[in-house]
Amino acid sequence: MTKDGRTIQEKMAALDALVAWFSSDEFILEQAVEKFKEAELLAAEIDSDLAKLKNDITVVKQKFDAQSGQ
Amino acid sequence: MVGMSPKLSVSDFIALTNQTLEYAYSSVEVEGEVASFKVNQGKFVFFDLKDASGSVGCFMMVFQLRIPIEDGMKVIVSAQPKLTQWGKFSLTVRMVRPSGEGSLKKSFDLLKAKLDTEGLFAAERKRLLPVMPRHIAVISSTQAAGYADFIKILNDRWGGVRVDVAHVQVQGAEAPDQIIRALDYFNEQQDLPEVIVVIRGGGSADDLGAFNDELLVRRIAASRVPTLVGVGHETDQSLADLAADVQAATPSNAAQIIVPDRKDMQRAVQYKVASLAPRLVHAVDERREIVRQTLFEAWQATERQTQQANERLAGLRQVIAQLDPHVVLRRGYAVISGEQRQGGRIKIEMHNATMEAVIERYDKRR
Repeated sequence: MTKDGRTIQEKMAALDALVAWFSSDEFILEQAVEKFKEAELLAAEIDSDLAKLKNDITVVKQKFDAQSGQ
Repeated sequence: MVGMSPKLSVSDFIALTNQTLEYAYSSVEVEGEVASFKVNQGKFVFFDLKDASGSVGCFMMVFQLRIPIEDGMKVIVSAQPKLTQWGKFSLTVRMVRPSGEGSLKKSFDLLKAKLDTEGLFAAERKRLLPVMPRHIAVISSTQAAGYADFIKILNDRWGGVRVDVAHVQVQGAEAPDQIIRALDYFNEQQDLPEVIVVIRGGGSADDLGAFNDELLVRRIAASRVPTLVGVGHETDQSLADLAADVQAATPSNAAQIIVPDRKDMQRAVQYKVASLAPRLVHAVDERREIVRQTLFEAWQATERQTQQANERLAGLRQVIAQLDPHVVLRRGYAVISGEQRQGGRIKIEMHNATMEAVIERYDKRR
């Protein structure tokens, strides 16, 4: 989850929707530049989010040997 | 001396012998070839273990037999020697494992055929793994090189994943049960992981034998959570691999399968946006072409209208020209005006001269 509450997957979906708009019947030239800028911004955000992501690795305390009573 | 020997009942003698045996050999490992293997009442397993010059009877419960064995296979048993109440000496076996490459292969093939018949490895049982998991469980030895490889590749490729790790033995007699307990642990969590990854680096066939344990293979196949198993090197294949939803060639390959590569994704995102610029230019060019075409058509229509008007004008000019009196005069005619009577004076107008004359004779036509 990133700062604006959207996951990278959601941002990717939003970017895909923007890209699809350019090939759709809804395409309006007057809105295209604005949509293009929006896509550029979103791509930069995804790039930055991807670079910052870290994994949270935890070794569970549970023991799995026979003596642990499992 | 005879009088000093204790006098024992048969039962006491058997109990004393077993006590002595337990003290001297609480656990022994004996290697030999299986003979006269049989299972009674579906519960009790009997076989003899023999070599070139000796043979010893063995007994164990069916549930303790974790690998299939048959006559002729070379095995190592972990057992306790005992004297039965009928005075027969035997080994009470806790665990059997195949010994030598031939037996390992035989055991592997027997169990593989058995589980395959049950459909444990069937393609239709396989579930897909999530594309971008946010919570995964890993079962491995945290001290193993394979685990370190997996974590390194995982961190290089992707982030934002909660990774819960169960540290277990990945080789030896204890390994299958520990891995089974870890599988049960993750399958019983309220917050279930999206996938359970079981990994172990390369090793000898004997080292990797834990992953051919029947109970472990069955538990992997029965896992509620989809499983990814990466054991050994590319050339190794365990039954745990076959039972998993997805099998990886190595622990590193498991990390490549479980998460996407952030660099690939960054490149894909850049490409997506870059591909929009030509589309935008194309859209502008398209509109420009439509405008140009419209203007051209308008020009063509105007041209047509002008030409039609010019043609009409030319026609009218021709008609007007035909009506011009000078044209008639040029054809040799003359306009005569004046008094129309004998002796009257008239004016004669031709195309190149005017003249006056007197009418000498005037005959009016009827």
